[in-house]
Amino acid sequence: MVVKYIRAASLDEADRVLASDKRARILAGGTQLLTSEFRDREFVAVDAGSLLPRGLERTAEGLTRIGAGAVFQDLADSPVPSRILSEAALGMANRNVRNAATVGGNLGAARSCSSLVPALLVLDARVRIHGAAETRPLADWLAAPSGIVTWIEIPASPGLRAAYARWSRTACDLSVLTCAASYRLQDGSLRDVRIACGGLDARSRRFPELERLFEGRPLPGRDEAAAAVAPALKPIDDLRGSAAFKRLRASELVAEALLTAREVSR
Amino acid sequence: MTVTFKLNGRPVSWDCPEGESLKAALRRKGIVSVRDGCDGEGSCGLCAVLLDGRTVNSCTLLAAQAEGREIYTVEHFSKDRKLSVVQRALIDAACVQCGYCTPAVVLAVHSLLERSPEPTKQEVKDALSGTLCRCTGYEQFHNAVRIAAKRLKDPGYAEAAAPEFRPDLRHVGKDREKVDAAALARGEKAFVEDRVDSDACHLALLTSPHAHAWIKSIDASAALELPGVVAVLTHENCPDRVYTTAGQGFPEPSPHDQRMFSRKVRHVGDRVAAVLAETPDQARTALKALKVEYEVLKPVFSIAEARTPGAPVVHSGEVRYVSGEAPAGTSTAGDGRDDPVVYQFPLHADPHRNLAASVADGIGDVEKGFAEADVVVERTYKGNRVQCTPMEPHVVYAKVDGGRLVLHASTQVPWHVRRIVSRAVGIPENKVRVIKERVGGGFGAKQDIVLEDVAGYLAWTTGRPVFFRYDREQEFISSRTRHLMEITVKLGAKKDGRLTAVLMKVDADTGPYGQHCLTVPMNAVSKSLPLVLCDNARFEVKSYYTNLTPAGAYQGYGAPKGSFALQTALAELAAELGMDQLDLIERNRVRSGSRIEILRSLGEGRPGAAVTLGECGLGEMIGRGRKAFGWGGAKPATEDPDWKVGRGAVIVQQGSGLPGLDAANAEVRLLADGTVLLLSGGADLGTGLDTVTAKAAAEILGLDMEDVAVISGDTDVTPFDKGAYASSGTYFSGNAAVKAAEDLRAKVLAAASAVLGEPVSDLAIVHRGIVRGRKGEVTLAKLAHMSTQGEHHGDLVGIGGFKTEHAAFPYGAHFAEVAVNVRTGDVKLRRFHAYQDCGTPINPALALGQIYGGILKAVGHSLYEELLYDKDGRCVNPRFLDYKIPTIWEVPEDFHVELVPVADEVGPFGGKSVSEISLNGAAPAISIAIHDAVGVWMREWPFTPERILKALGKI
Repeated sequence: MVVKYIRAASLDEADRVLASDKRARILAGGTQLLTSEFRDREFVAVDAGSLLPRGLERTAEGLTRIGAGAVFQDLADSPVPSRILSEAALGMANRNVRNAATVGGNLGAARSCSSLVPALLVLDARVRIHGAAETRPLADWLAAPSGIVTWIEIPASPGLRAAYARWSRTACDLSVLTCAASYRLQDGSLRDVRIACGGLDARSRRFPELERLFEGRPLPGRDEAAAAVAPALKPIDDLRGSAAFKRLRASELVAEALLTAREVSR
Repeated sequence: MTVTFKLNGRPVSWDCPEGESLKAALRRKGIVSVRDGCDGEGSCGLCAVLLDGRTVNSCTLLAAQAEGREIYTVEHFSKDRKLSVVQRALIDAACVQCGYCTPAVVLAVHSLLERSPEPTKQEVKDALSGTLCRCTGYEQFHNAVRIAAKRLKDPGYAEAAAPEFRPDLRHVGKDREKVDAAALARGEKAFVEDRVDSDACHLALLTSPHAHAWIKSIDASAALELPGVVAVLTHENCPDRVYTTAGQGFPEPSPHDQRMFSRKVRHVGDRVAAVLAETPDQARTALKALKVEYEVLKPVFSIAEARTPGAPVVHSGEVRYVSGEAPAGTSTAGDGRDDPVVYQFPLHADPHRNLAASVADGIGDVEKGFAEADVVVERTYKGNRVQCTPMEPHVVYAKVDGGRLVLHASTQVPWHVRRIVSRAVGIPENKVRVIKERVGGGFGAKQDIVLEDVAGYLAWTTGRPVFFRYDREQEFISSRTRHLMEITVKLGAKKDGRLTAVLMKVDADTGPYGQHCLTVPMNAVSKSLPLVLCDNARFEVKSYYTNLTPAGAYQGYGAPKGSFALQTALAELAAELGMDQLDLIERNRVRSGSRIEILRSLGEGRPGAAVTLGECGLGEMIGRGRKAFGWGGAKPATEDPDWKVGRGAVIVQQGSGLPGLDAANAEVRLLADGTVLLLSGGADLGTGLDTVTAKAAAEILGLDMEDVAVISGDTDVTPFDKGAYASSGTYFSGNAAVKAAEDLRAKVLAAASAVLGEPVSDLAIVHRGIVRGRKGEVTLAKLAHMSTQGEHHGDLVGIGGFKTEHAAFPYGAHFAEVAVNVRTGDVKLRRFHAYQDCGTPINPALALGQIYGGILKAVGHSLYEELLYDKDGRCVNPRFLDYKIPTIWEVPEDFHVELVPVADEVGPFGGKSVSEISLNGAAPAISIAIHDAVGVWMREWPFTPERILKALGKI
């Protein structure tokens, strides 16, 4: 629950509060921080909602920039991001939530059930942190988050193919399992294979052990891909599914993402 | 802090506590249309507002975040009590049932039409994806959006919401506006939470963390010292009486086995103590200050455990019988520490062996029948616990007024609440008034007295007003669920498919208390066995106590689970015989004129009687479904070979109230201007019952709908009614209104006869409110006015009561088509058709809405819903985040309901029940369709992808 509310006048001020008060959390859309799940935790809400950029743009160099304050529905509706990102944004709960939840907030929440993060990871997204000169790889930031993300930047990658697939119990459910894949096709073989999954670990992450299975090889058939992936996955049993089920279901999702990506230039 | 923003077009500046949610601030300022179904989880969408033109959930926003922004709520559209195009369209399309979600839907549709004036079906689904509704099944929302979109261009646009029936009648069989729909669509004050005074105290419950334990000690001294704490109630200072929470006719076929607070806790979530305090925060703080020591006992978590000799005993107190004797061989002497278990009459129970109730009976000789059979199949089916999840959880507001206890209740059974609370509190019934407010969904959960006893007692003893509302988690773990059941069906048949014997063994898990413990599982038999004709039929029903979530009533009662077992078993038998499953049904089903002998042994707590059926519409309904599905033809192909298509069909039935057990009453008063006030005992839960009774009065008295105002479910004002359960609303409460209106008509005609000087036989009431004779005429207004002037006759009031021995069965045929993915176990419900006979549909579009809503609940139970527990009996998914009820996206693409009426000679204008039956088809139809698609029999629901993959041998 919110014990104190601070409407930050600037991101510098927000940074200062974050540094000085352990209970401080950046408040953006509120769809995570203000839910009943966090009712018993005391925190200081640093409202940065109006300070975060909301823009979605593509630079002349082909860089896609997503403001951390953009809400999921913006991402779903905009022609700027690639198809995989629009679809991943639509994978977020329902319209009411998408109208409030921000992209930056989703990264900050770092939930394994994010429909978006695996897609960003296979696009090699980088994040711009307020006050920092250089961007950082999103994967690094997720592993050790610090600072306020202002922009998410996706480099131009001509020839990159990318797709994403998710499984949820009902359509508007959280993403129990999400798998995204990207690669280039060179002389009939997969190059620069990236595979990221959510729902298998505490956080969404890249799976180099899966990427190695496919790097430099021709695109496998669906059965072959799923069969190769399954033994490498070690999900845990929980109320959303047994380990055996999740292993099978996630391996099918990886196969689906790999096969769908072939048809989709990003 | 001060927050300045625009609300409904006007600038406002509010002083808000720093952490206050926007929802809380709006409600505090009297914007009551923001409702709450998930306690701030952000998953139900009922607190939606338009923030800068977009729908967002106001529970997951701070009021402070509204600074400088523009907010609209449904109050904007309801200004000056008008209705917007969208509100009007929702009413016209019969989308307003309980009305708890309606304001959120209004906002979502306005927002949709702003961005897309002619939205596609997909866009409608997307727009409403954030709103959970448990009543409507969402299907008619598409019609409402279409109507609104067209009217924005052409204000005169109109379309029929449903086919019309009974051309001989003015209102019955035609769509009329649901009498409470406008107020609900406007988001007016209507629910219990809207009746709470500013000085109300708040009640909070301390519940048990253990599934089974003695409370060794409770120390409330620290809690009582805390600011704002008014009272703490525990087993040490509560009344020493046991009762049942089941709102059934007295004497109930449920054991009185529950004390307000017990020394023993019997499930995780059981009552330990209540705190009454001046604010919710004070109450919560005080709960934490209670010190409780437990002596943890070994729990019982399954039927198998419960019946094992030497198993832990859930109820170890003395067993007593008010009438009749303890069954031979049962144990009655109790452990003095535990509460007694008091049966009103014997239910073949043995509580000290965890057997809460049992019954066995039948006709013919099943062993002989099986011996004669060419094929015998025996299968066991399991249905897990599902929760009713009314969007408005249990809630009550109790206060003392004029020396009497007044309960504003969200209940299906106002009179049972009055009786049970009066006994629990220890005051006579004339000191208790129960006012049923609009109910935000009941579905059976509100047939039980879950909160009213403790709230009533604390209001009465402290004199303070008491507000008590379950949060969603409590609703899941401490309210009521549908019994887990394991049902074994054994069928014998000749080669031609003729049944030679049917045996059903039902084992039910009633949880820690015995409300509905006999009647729900018995209903699994009594609403499924009479669908087939077989000379040798037998059933054995046993209901066990365990230490899991309490079970109780849920729309359909036990029938959905019995139907699942018997209908699926019939399909399995057909497969063994190499017959088409519908041909097997046709070979054995009841038909017009059938003598249903099995009903002799299926009386509910009393002897039954065989029934000779009048007309039965099953043949017609099966025929229509066969045609629509191209039954017997090739199945539709799919583009992706991993998806396999399958089809299933079942027949279903229900009852219409409890003949010989229940009664309903109504009163119609003619007012001086010729309008009438209808006082109905019936409890409208959003079902449209008040509209049914209003129609009866308008039809009989030659009036228009607006000439009838309905007051219902107020125990001080309206006459007795058994309540809304057992599919009795239209049949019982509706018929009571018919009788009352007929009584008033007779009195009006007698008075008019004197005024006009013509014999009654020459008089008739004609539209609108005119008594016409051969020579003259007089208006109802004139007659009523005379009654106030001391002339001629006295007050013109009609009274009517209804009871019956006649059993009226609605029937139906449900057809499903699924696609199953053999790689992933995913199931898509592509088509669902329901052909249903509810007799004369009194209000066809509302009847369709009841059926759509019922089916979608059953689809949820079949595919997604299940309460899950850890090894300590703790429910691990008591929230919408992990207990998945269907959203609008789960609605089948081809969702079709067709009314095939067969008039009933006793029902009001030939009407029968309509809602509960609609839950009985989905599970077996989908299960059979899955088998048709991929060749595996799913015998445990829900049919999750994981269970399907296991059945397919993939995991």
